[in-house]
Amino acid sequence: MWGELRRHLRRFSSPVLTGVDSDGYPFSIRCAPEFDETQHALRVSVPAWTRIRQGPASLLCHSHNHLLWNLRSFMVRGTLEPAGGETWLFRPARFVPGVGIGGLAGMVRFAITKRRAAGRYLERRGLQRPRIDWAQLKALQARARQQPQP
Amino acid sequence: MALRVPAEVEAVFREFRTCEFSTLAADGTPITWPMLPFYRASTGQFMTTTSIGLPDKAFNIRRNPRVSLLFSDPTGSGLFDPPAVLVQGDAVAPDEVKTSIGGFENEVMLVYRRQPAGAMYTSNRALRWFSDWYFLRLEITVTPRRILWWECGDLSSAPTVVEAIHVG
Repeated sequence: MWGELRRHLRRFSSPVLTGVDSDGYPFSIRCAPEFDETQHALRVSVPAWTRIRQGPASLLCHSHNHLLWNLRSFMVRGTLEPAGGETWLFRPARFVPGVGIGGLAGMVRFAITKRRAAGRYLERRGLQRPRIDWAQLKALQARARQQPQP
Repeated sequence: MALRVPAEVEAVFREFRTCEFSTLAADGTPITWPMLPFYRASTGQFMTTTSIGLPDKAFNIRRNPRVSLLFSDPTGSGLFDPPAVLVQGDAVAPDEVKTSIGGFENEVMLVYRRQPAGAMYTSNRALRWFSDWYFLRLEITVTPRRILWWECGDLSSAPTVVEAIHVG
């Protein structure tokens, strides 16, 4: 997992670090993590004004281009603990690939997994798989193409 | 009721293509993924959706409504040096599968205008079968409780904070 994290994290300059603040709400900031090879952890700066508490946390890396395409994302679940001053240690526990990770095979695997998950969601509620109104969607796409890029 | 935030913060809500949306898992871990947010200026609330193929966000919200939306990636927004904005709030995610774009026509249209290549998923029968799960959606509505922003996206300094207690 550490190797996988190192390989993918290097492509992103400012991941999103999310902890839980003193009111119990998620609190996200951008960060510039540094690898701590001895502890297999990431050193991050967590200012006091975030009021982020020690405990569960996650790290998200994602990107897209100007046309909201070439999507790439992954998330790492872990924990945060203070390491002196504003420096905290993020200890990764689980790498969760998102879109654009793992090439074409990863994309196919992602779609098949989510298609099955959708089937389970419907099955547990005794619902038939609904039919999407593709014609309606295509008509909307045609209208969108006629409008200027926002 | 509309939010009492500066125009440049509202511009971020309107123009940013994505936000980093966090929910709380059963073990308390904040789970963050990029999402497409839609700002309802008239109520000051945010709407987003998730596929039933990715239902964990909705499950998390039904168990614990506390969420946050960070607007920190201006790519594609056309805004110059915008603030970064964090919205903390309470969300609802009713167990109602949306299979029609009725009621969301403006949002779907906006997505296709901003992401023209997304039309490829409906381009032929095989891709439509493969990706139908993506179009089975759950609606998520977020009522802000606190809004924080950092001028010019500089998250190294303390933010400006507004409590949004009369929204919704």
